Amino acid sequence: MKGLAGQDEKILRSHCRICHGGCGVLVYVKEGRATKIEGDPQCPINRGTLCPKGIASLQLVYHPNRLLYPLKRKGPKGGGQWDRISWEEVYDLLVSKINEYKNGYGAESIVLGYGTGRDNEAFIYRFANLLGTPNVLTAGHMCYGPRVSTSIITCGNLPVCDYEGNPKCIMVWGNNAIISNPDEYKGLYLSDALAKGAKLIVVDPRFTKLADRSDLWLQLRPGTDVALALGMLHVIIEEELYDKEFVGNWIYGWNEFVDRVKEYPPWRVSEITWVPEEKIREAARLFAKTKPACIQWGVAIEQSINCVDNNRSLIALAAVTGNLDVPGGMVFYVPPPVMNASQFGLHRSLPPEQRKKRLGGEVFKLADAFAIINPRFVWEAILYEKPYPVKMVFLISSNPVMTRANASMVYEALKKVEFLVVSDFFLTPTAEMADLVLPSATWLEMDYVAEIWKRHGYALARQKVIQVGECKSDHEMLLELGNRLGQREHWWPTLRDALNAILAPSGLTFEAFLEIGHLQGKMEYRKYLKKGFSTPTRKVELYSTRMKEWGYDPLPKFREPPESPISRPDLVKDYPYILITGMRPTAFFHSEHRQIPWLRELLPEPLVEIHPETAEKEGIKEGDWVVIESPRGRCFQRAKLTLGIDPRVIGAQHAWWFPEKEAPEHGWKESNINLLTDNDPSTCDPAMGATNLRVLMCRVSPKKD
Amino acid sequence: MTKKLALLIDEDLCWGCDACELACKQENHLSEGSRWIQVRTKGVQRINGKLKLTYSPARCLQCSHPPCQEVCPVDAITQRSDGIVLIDSHGCIGCKKCIEACPFGVMQFNQEKGVAEKCHLCYHRIDQGLKPACIDVCIGRCIYFGEMAELVHRYGERRWLSGRNGNERTTGL
Repeated sequence: MKGLAGQDEKILRSHCRICHGGCGVLVYVKEGRATKIEGDPQCPINRGTLCPKGIASLQLVYHPNRLLYPLKRKGPKGGGQWDRISWEEVYDLLVSKINEYKNGYGAESIVLGYGTGRDNEAFIYRFANLLGTPNVLTAGHMCYGPRVSTSIITCGNLPVCDYEGNPKCIMVWGNNAIISNPDEYKGLYLSDALAKGAKLIVVDPRFTKLADRSDLWLQLRPGTDVALALGMLHVIIEEELYDKEFVGNWIYGWNEFVDRVKEYPPWRVSEITWVPEEKIREAARLFAKTKPACIQWGVAIEQSINCVDNNRSLIALAAVTGNLDVPGGMVFYVPPPVMNASQFGLHRSLPPEQRKKRLGGEVFKLADAFAIINPRFVWEAILYEKPYPVKMVFLISSNPVMTRANASMVYEALKKVEFLVVSDFFLTPTAEMADLVLPSATWLEMDYVAEIWKRHGYALARQKVIQVGECKSDHEMLLELGNRLGQREHWWPTLRDALNAILAPSGLTFEAFLEIGHLQGKMEYRKYLKKGFSTPTRKVELYSTRMKEWGYDPLPKFREPPESPISRPDLVKDYPYILITGMRPTAFFHSEHRQIPWLRELLPEPLVEIHPETAEKEGIKEGDWVVIESPRGRCFQRAKLTLGIDPRVIGAQHAWWFPEKEAPEHGWKESNINLLTDNDPSTCDPAMGATNLRVLMCRVSPKKD
Repeated sequence: MTKKLALLIDEDLCWGCDACELACKQENHLSEGSRWIQVRTKGVQRINGKLKLTYSPARCLQCSHPPCQEVCPVDAITQRSDGIVLIDSHGCIGCKKCIEACPFGVMQFNQEKGVAEKCHLCYHRIDQGLKPACIDVCIGRCIYFGEMAELVHRYGERRWLSGRNGNERTTGL
């Protein structure tokens, strides 16, 4: 151990989960209280490094406003008055309410939900599937879910940058892996690969530090990623830079794909994307000629009407250049021998007649195939009881008032729903509206076989090092609730038993697992040579047979974003700028951590990025409060003038609320960019239901007063 | 003669992630407002027609003739033989003269205790053979600690003095 342990101080190994998580940590514990967190130098994920959020975890854990015991609403909804109740009372109430709605309206009237998930996804899906509800509201329609589902139908599994295989060229696309968590590997590996001399191409409308370090920065018009990717493919095909052997043997639908790509010559792509033709060619050549190469892709391209085709076109870039499943390319990691999240989720136990009732399942068929729903359909089912009424919403680590599009509609729906349960760390603007609030345990207060939903080939040991108040892990809560709801035969008596069951294929007990810290699958490259790709044709389906079956275009294409100066010239006069939302700061994870003093100090107020020319035109000065308005609503953020954004584009932060402001609102309407976003199904990706959070139209002006 | 210790940061490799700042706060139990190492940036700049974004983690440079020490009216600031400049929090009267005197603007004021404070290279750690807390958390691997002469030899005088390394990047460290 590298640190200085004081007298009576223990150092325990665990894995952080302050964001999407998985960094190895050493936790110092003295007399039942955690005192310090350090990166674990032995953990292969982070090798001793840690981010600000991870280090600040103890300020969250011991925060004076932390929820320490269950609360039941007294007085009117959202009135901020609560009674403390016991966990036994919680379970009695939940059992009675769940049975009441299940018997009266069907299990589908109960919606389970999580945000980005606190590594509790497997338990939530298992609970929902056993209960018989097909409705689990996640961020999966627009975050990570599209990458996984699109990859599975296209090439059988999610391809991930193989940093340890030494990529010579990395194309970072719609991702700031240094600042935010790219799910599989962390920024460290990207940083190390660049230090070893890998070439870097960055596709981003903003000039990030990655763009600063890049060999080529493609500053594209927001929302045009698929056109850019198809334009690069055009160059690669025209100049015969593709891997002919791989294409000949392993691509399904090559001729049809080539015909489609022909519609995207660089001159036309340049017009669509604002990227100069020569840069498109240069990037295509650099990526195709430098081997091995990989694409570090991110969420930004998924929150778009082009979600699925953005992903498909990037897979195509990796595939045709021969970079799939080769060292240093984009690989399919081999999972460790444990039960994975999908198996644990018991998706097959959901009766087919219940599955047919999945909200929006008939509309977004790719999402439906992966048990993912679009939030708008939940809000409508609550508000208009169509196609059936949703009576109960059970949110576990989710703050949709801040993080879902069309916040006004979300707020109305949550206000109306008959029974709202929220499990979280604090009374968030969403939790303030609940009927029942459960105090959730942080990563320091739980045992788990962590990160088994990820596709990086690891299972990580997370151990309970402290107990805070009556807080309980969501996993344990769902297991105990399931046991009381007649699901006993599908659960285990204790969480420890469940963890042992997850580990059973490895032959380890949880205790033994804690000793070794992590399990890693044994990597093997070019697995397709033996068994092909796990798609219907056993090939990489650039022409997707599944998409065709569902009635979608089997080939990727560019759709003009539904609200852009081109698709809505009528709006240009009033809303002259393109608004992108969701630029990531280091301090926060979506709506979380604004009450953590050390983190809030890094970023005290929400920032909106504006080019100095635009600011001057609009009479906005550095640091001014700015009114940002879209056709649907408005909010306020502080002006940050920067040359790193196109003068035609405005970049706003998301999920800002102010825990220090008065309950129950906590200022949720002040800086909430989701008052401006749209969730109309016609603006969502037609197959995945991805919400378009990234390309809107807006105007900006200095806030008066 | 005791060897001088130093912390060198290659700003070209700094990602601006703020991890060093938080690691320092945790290690030294800093209150809000006190930032012994602070990642600063002038934002995106246009230099010779090209955009540039640089992060500069500012911290006490343990000057060889510390201006802060010279102006302290109560001699609360001392320098160890290894170069570490220390402020005696019991002796400090909170007059803030050192804060004004610091040419790098890195002296901090602890509002709760009413005293000046700053980076001391985690002397409590290095005296036990460990590195300062900011180093291992860094994903850019751009914070180096050691003997000043050796660091200057390895990374160059220019980089040491200005914290900048022109356009050249150090790799494979």
